[in-house]
Amino acid sequence: MHVTKKLAALLGCLWLLLAAVSVQGQTRQITGKVTDGKDGAPLIGATVTVKGTSQSVITGADGSFQLSVPSTAKTIVVSSVGFGTKEFAVSDNINVVLTTGDNSLSEVVVVGYGTKIKRDLTGSVAKVGAKELGNTPVTSFESALQGRAAGVQVQQQNGKLGQGINVKIRGSASVTAGNEPLYVIDGIPVTTRDLSSNGAPTSPLADINTNDIESIEILKDASSAAIYGSRGSNGVVLITTKKGKAGKSRIDFGFFAGKQKPTNKREFLNSQQYVDGFTDASVRAGKYDYKNYPGDWTDEQEAIDYYVGRAESAFTRFSAGNDDWKTAKVNTDWQEEAFQNAPIAQYDLSLSGGNEKTTFYMGGQYLDQTGIIARNSMKRYNGRLNIDHKFNNWLNIGTNLSFARTLNYRVSNDNAFSTPLQSVALSPITPTIDPRTGLLSGESDPDRADNPGGPNQNYPLYYNPMLSVKGAYYNTFVNRSLGNVYGQAQILKNLSFRSELGIDQLNQTEDAYYGPITERNTTYPKGGGFASADRIFNFNTNNFFRFAPVINEDNDLDAVAGMSFQKSNWYTQTATAEALPGNNYMKLVSAATKSDAVSSEQDFSFLSYFARANYKFKDRYLVAVSGRFDASSRFGPNNRWGFFPAASLGWIVSDENFLSESKVLSFLKLKASYGLTGNAEIGNYPWQKLWNGSGAYGSNPGQIPIQMANEDLKWETTASFDFGAEIGILNNRISFELDYYIRNTKDLLLNVELPGSSGYTSQLQNLGKLKNQGFEFTVNSDNIVTRDFRWSTNLNFSINRNKITDLKGQELGVGGYNRAREGEPIGVFVSREFAGADPANGDALYYKNTVLADGKRDRSTTNDYNEAEEVVIGSPNPDFIYGFRNNLTYRGIELDIFLQGVQGNQVYDGGGQYYSASFSNGYDNQTVDQLNAWKNPGDITMVPEARRGWANGTDPSSRYIMNGSYLRVKQLTLAYNLPQSIIKKAHLERVRVYARGQNLWTITDYKGWDPEVNADYQATNINQGVDFYSVPQAKVIVFGINIGL
Amino acid sequence: MTHYKYKLLSCLVAVGFAFSACEKQLDLDPYASVEESKAFQTSADVEAALVGAYSRVGDDNVLGGDMGVYSELLGNDEQIGWSGTYQGLTQMYNKAIPVNNDFVEDTWKEAYEAINVCNNVLAAIDKVSEGKRDNVEGQAKFLRGIVYFEMVRLYAKAWNDGNPAENDGVPLVLTPTREVSEELKVNRSKVSEVYTQIISDLTDAESKMWDKIDNGFYANRTAAAALLARVYLQKGDYANAADAANRAIESNENSLMETYAEAFPVNYDNTNALVANTDEDIFAMQVTLNTGYNDFNTFFSLFGRGDIYINPEYYENYEAADDRLSVFALNNYEYTSKFDMVYGNVHIIRLAEMYLVRAEANFRAGTAVGAKPLDDINTIRVRALLEPLTGAQLNLDAILLERYHELSFEGHRLHDVKRLEGSVGSFPWNSPKLVLPIPEREIKINPGLTQNEGY
Repeated sequence: MHVTKKLAALLGCLWLLLAAVSVQGQTRQITGKVTDGKDGAPLIGATVTVKGTSQSVITGADGSFQLSVPSTAKTIVVSSVGFGTKEFAVSDNINVVLTTGDNSLSEVVVVGYGTKIKRDLTGSVAKVGAKELGNTPVTSFESALQGRAAGVQVQQQNGKLGQGINVKIRGSASVTAGNEPLYVIDGIPVTTRDLSSNGAPTSPLADINTNDIESIEILKDASSAAIYGSRGSNGVVLITTKKGKAGKSRIDFGFFAGKQKPTNKREFLNSQQYVDGFTDASVRAGKYDYKNYPGDWTDEQEAIDYYVGRAESAFTRFSAGNDDWKTAKVNTDWQEEAFQNAPIAQYDLSLSGGNEKTTFYMGGQYLDQTGIIARNSMKRYNGRLNIDHKFNNWLNIGTNLSFARTLNYRVSNDNAFSTPLQSVALSPITPTIDPRTGLLSGESDPDRADNPGGPNQNYPLYYNPMLSVKGAYYNTFVNRSLGNVYGQAQILKNLSFRSELGIDQLNQTEDAYYGPITERNTTYPKGGGFASADRIFNFNTNNFFRFAPVINEDNDLDAVAGMSFQKSNWYTQTATAEALPGNNYMKLVSAATKSDAVSSEQDFSFLSYFARANYKFKDRYLVAVSGRFDASSRFGPNNRWGFFPAASLGWIVSDENFLSESKVLSFLKLKASYGLTGNAEIGNYPWQKLWNGSGAYGSNPGQIPIQMANEDLKWETTASFDFGAEIGILNNRISFELDYYIRNTKDLLLNVELPGSSGYTSQLQNLGKLKNQGFEFTVNSDNIVTRDFRWSTNLNFSINRNKITDLKGQELGVGGYNRAREGEPIGVFVSREFAGADPANGDALYYKNTVLADGKRDRSTTNDYNEAEEVVIGSPNPDFIYGFRNNLTYRGIELDIFLQGVQGNQVYDGGGQYYSASFSNGYDNQTVDQLNAWKNPGDITMVPEARRGWANGTDPSSRYIMNGSYLRVKQLTLAYNLPQSIIKKAHLERVRVYARGQNLWTITDYKGWDPEVNADYQATNINQGVDFYSVPQAKVIVFGINIGL
Repeated sequence: MTHYKYKLLSCLVAVGFAFSACEKQLDLDPYASVEESKAFQTSADVEAALVGAYSRVGDDNVLGGDMGVYSELLGNDEQIGWSGTYQGLTQMYNKAIPVNNDFVEDTWKEAYEAINVCNNVLAAIDKVSEGKRDNVEGQAKFLRGIVYFEMVRLYAKAWNDGNPAENDGVPLVLTPTREVSEELKVNRSKVSEVYTQIISDLTDAESKMWDKIDNGFYANRTAAAALLARVYLQKGDYANAADAANRAIESNENSLMETYAEAFPVNYDNTNALVANTDEDIFAMQVTLNTGYNDFNTFFSLFGRGDIYINPEYYENYEAADDRLSVFALNNYEYTSKFDMVYGNVHIIRLAEMYLVRAEANFRAGTAVGAKPLDDINTIRVRALLEPLTGAQLNLDAILLERYHELSFEGHRLHDVKRLEGSVGSFPWNSPKLVLPIPEREIKINPGLTQNEGY
């Protein structure tokens, strides 16, 4: 099978070559000059291309160019970033005036293995440029993408630095295989594997310097993504880094600095409220106990006294063993303890320039960011060198090289007692410093029998996370080299060959230390530590021909064919040890007990052959076909190869005679595409029947079976339709893009359960289906364009509906909050439906929701949790998402307001069972809304009666579901470009000062910290939208300056 | 033209080279694991799988403690209390077990995982070098036998509850699982069929295993005989029980520790220290810093979670002088200190049990295989610093009481209640509530599996 494919690919190449060889001819020399329509200034670095070829030249410092063109050439194309594109008939001397605007159509868009003019695109590609991304005060570029493009949902799990960010393009296309897009930087698919060992994922994309990025193109539909075949189901994110331009050399310096704060804090009880609340809850618990178990007590008062007595002795314990709780003398706001002052600063320096033969871009960045949560901070150093060189008249060579060093000082995952924000569980009557010892509460217990002076084992209520802030660290350091070299040979006028060789080398170490004061949490009385080292070497090569023959004015063909190969190797090791001699020793070398050591290694590879042809007839009928054969080591020989074809059509209706005279409608393109894409984002070696050495027994090594074989395992496949229209009116001052899509995924890669008596519990199979359909809408409008004042608006809006259509009767996620259930969107919340407090007695009530004979659900209520049936109580998937940007400039002043929102999703407050528990669970401090608990018969409230220890309504239910919709002022920028008259005197070219706010205001009904949340310790494709002591997002205000010379 | 040809050629060479080199790179083998066919090439490979079988048998959900803990939680009423937060075990203590109980589900899966490893060893037994072959085969059968014995006792009606030839036991799987097919859906064999298989495995094991095993903790011939004694006793086959117990005692591989407490060694200076088997341990699951589990420690000991406490009712029939009370006195009689070593081995069969089995079986059968019942009982009593019984004092109740005190909280309770047709609080010995359900998960996957009565 695959031999045939190789032959086909080779024959295709040969055909292209032969066709090319036959086209030969004479050349002529043309010259010209390109100027800016606004002020007549020469445009440096504009591209002048002979249409239909890759012969091009870049304008020099005075805007002039010289280009030899074939005698057959009829048209040349002139373009420049930020300006429109214009076409001219070939003549000896051409003077070109380019104007801004008109940009959405003439812009060059990067697609897989090439570029396209936006006008000619038949697929669905979103582009976000450096202007929107640059100088965003965030750690990772995905955050800067949030809300910028239709159909792209970006969600940061929480406000910890460098941690997981989920990006979904047109919904979730998989249930258990990967759900994140493929990231390609300058043609090389990069490593995105989470290498964190502390239970919360980190993102290797946080190693990328956002200011190095020239543009990000997001390939959304099958027509654009199928060229990445097997990897395209979740969309493809193409990142192109900055290049130098011929002409005057530039030096750009940038700096910003500012402060970060949590977007929101929750309100918890103060000491008086805490003591009163739990005392009342104890009285009520006693009454409740007496009512239900009268035989256990002599009278009601005895029961009350018992409960109140227990509570009072607990108060004394939490109050450092004294009576201060009686007077509310100590009132600790533990939430404040969890946060810290969080400055941020970033320094950028770049140099770029070149001549007609060689261009270069050098960039460096230092980011110094302190997290809003205690002990969290990050430092990142980036460097980049991009060079492009014309070796001779037929060969271009170049390189894009970058390195990064990222130092991330991390905190524990959301589910750890040691994560700072879990401090909110502690009692406000507990002082931060224990007056008995003068040390942090819990740090030392003079009375401890087995270890005098060791950490306190039952004070405060829980382990005090501030002990980890003081006496532990978890440092993740990454060294990353990412780069490629390429050569592009113009074999013939119409035929070029490009070869790219890229590597992505990622070395990460984690170094963790847990001092003796963390014993209550770590059980290391003498301290302990953990170390890990990971090395990922990711190699990729792309080799492809491009054939763009000049046929005639009416027929335009552009074809690409080639191959690509990727291999990635991951080596990992970890070590754990405990018992260190005193606080001076923190490395494992000093540990007395080396308790665990692991090393392991794995590989995967992809081999692909691809081809694409774009044909254009009469400049308005567009056809594109593409196909890719993919093979991966992840599949067995039976189904190793997959074929992923796509086809698309476009019709530029506005170029037809019947519309060309229209005064209003300046552009109309209709487009449709259909294609297949694949997903192979599963573990390595999933198809083999495997044994491993984890069967040691009594210090003797042993082997056991770990995986059932499935030699028929194959690609998860998504078939996508896309219908779209692009509309420009009023000379394209207002443009619209509309897309409707249906994406059907089949052969889901799922773990299917096996009978336990087989000795195995599951096998990875291709089973099940899901569907995404949606609508996207984008408007770009230049509302006002005058010489001094400009106002432009961009709006994007997207709806996606996800539905799992077939899981062969399985339900995934049982036992958690989220489920994958047939007939429902992925990740729906399934639990009992809460009905508030019983007005008669304060019991938590639930709707029974059992299915009655008539098919309806029983809406009567019960106080028996188990009697109520589990139902869908919400969904983490939004109804729609949107971004809305207004940019106003007046002379040198610029105001940019960017709003971003998510609507119609729910968030499950997983910590609610502890802190919004109507005083009925543990002694955890409560949110103030719990003061509304049921008090007297007749009270109508959603907070059941406070009964300490009786768990009244604390089981998972819709009590803890909240509306997660929000609208945010995502970014607000006020900038001033200093006038030339001033900066010339300082011998500078450009000076821009600005103030920028990120996440400035959030409008939401969500009562938790921040509605953009997904508890990091449990985030998966299915588990979404759960809050669990998760650090809120950061609100950032920075002041910055950019200087160019 | 030549110029172009040169360029073309170089590009084609580059592409051609890439095409051919990459194809091979699709066949990647794992580094940290190995394809099954490669895992069974040499004698050492099969022996490593046998070690793997021990490790799976020692899983926490199997003989790493849980199966014994279930027996104690289900077989005791007011003698113990449960204060743990594991919902699945709370349900067992309450004798109200839902069909989706996680412990019930995990034990089923883990037990059969262990059985599958045993089956793999047995299927590859020809690869084992001749000198070791019988011993390896015997051990694999011993492990398979002990797991099936625990499974059939927990998941099916007792032998003496109705007709074992009609009551459903557990699925009998005796060959390794090679591929996924409908044949993996194995239904339950009858209780008697499962016992027949167990006895056949253990009898084979006893004949094939070595008397001594270098490492001192793998199963040997004595272990097989001892386990057979337990199986025959459970069946009420007293003649065979006495014979087997006698073989286990007379092999002289083991000896009673001087005191009762020494059979449960503990070092309070360092409860995290490793502990070797005692001379009294005929078979114990090994626990080290990195391998093995001891869930008796987890649930019974204050050095574990301390979830199971002992109530005064337990002490009702003790004689004051009984030295066996020493393992309770330490904790004010609220917790047992039998399992205080965090990495202590899990005692599966102690020699003391064999004296008790021989005594009971001889007494019931009216025989004196190896020793008179009175002598065996007094061997146990004297070690516990109690007065020897006189012949007149010896009766079945006295033997059973001795057994109860000697083997408390070591996982025998439920099975003794059933064998002796006693009761647990208000639940009679044959109550369906004292049988675990077949896990809901298993019936969903294989509807051919019958559910137990009462679920």
